[in-house]
Amino acid sequence: MNYVKGLLDQIGLGGQRLEIYFLSSAEGARFADIATEMTERVRQLGPNLIKKLEIGD
Amino acid sequence: MIIGEQKPLNEIKQMIADYQKILVLGCGTCVTVCFAGGEKEVGILASTLRMATKLEGQNKELVEATVQRQCEYEYNREVADLVRQADAVLSLACGIGVQTMNEQFPEKITLPGLNTTFLGQPTEQGIWAERCQACGNCVLALTGGICPIARCSKSLLNGPCGGSQNGKCEVKRVRMAWGKPVTIMDKKGKEMPVMEDIECAWQLIYERLQTLGKLSFLDEIQPAKDWTTSRDGGPRKIVREDLRIEAE
Repeated sequence: MNYVKGLLDQIGLGGQRLEIYFLSSAEGARFADIATEMTERVRQLGPNLIKKLEIGD
Repeated sequence: MIIGEQKPLNEIKQMIADYQKILVLGCGTCVTVCFAGGEKEVGILASTLRMATKLEGQNKELVEATVQRQCEYEYNREVADLVRQADAVLSLACGIGVQTMNEQFPEKITLPGLNTTFLGQPTEQGIWAERCQACGNCVLALTGGICPIARCSKSLLNGPCGGSQNGKCEVKRVRMAWGKPVTIMDKKGKEMPVMEDIECAWQLIYERLQTLGKLSFLDEIQPAKDWTTSRDGGPRKIVREDLRIEAE
């Protein structure tokens, strides 16, 4: 996980876009919290540069 | 097994700069087990290169494949078509696999994605240590199964030197990760490399022979080691006439 995050940092995409969480199927509320947290994080980081390029194509 | 470590991404990017369609080719043997060049690593590297080159405005095509053993022609034949269709091959095998590919497919360049580091074993999860230098004349029977050539910093054959203190070698090794020194901040905020102790091989040999009740081995005068079996005579080769198939 850290390795892949490092690679994403190296290529300029940002390792913060990737995260791993361990939770059981009974943890619905925690799942929602994580989804919110990741959505906020990605919103702050801005659009994925690759997708931006693809749309630009 | 053969231990390898992936080259830094920037070096790999420079190597493939002139090619458009690249076959990233893994090996299913040693480098799979040491998490450097197996199917999983091929997938991660190919994806990373796809994204990296796209971000740099290039449109490279990266094809993924892994053969069981890249050091044997038989296994590489399975990817002959993929090799033919590619502009270059980026091999995640050891240096032997890379050379086998270049010999087998001379019309295509096969580039090394790994640094082949040493012959060793995993000592614990995520740690590999050198155990053999393939000298071609094994002395392990005399040294309690601990190799003084690979594990003594000076490859001494006649006991420890004066640099052996409390079981540790005077040589300290910089801890490496991803081909770079691991560093920590000292009290003054200066970045310092993490230095690791090396076990004194001759201390280990002594203790092992003591346990085995074979310390007398150390009293025996041994003839000078024959190094002609090692690298001193140039590249080595074994010919087994009993196994050869004569060309008709």
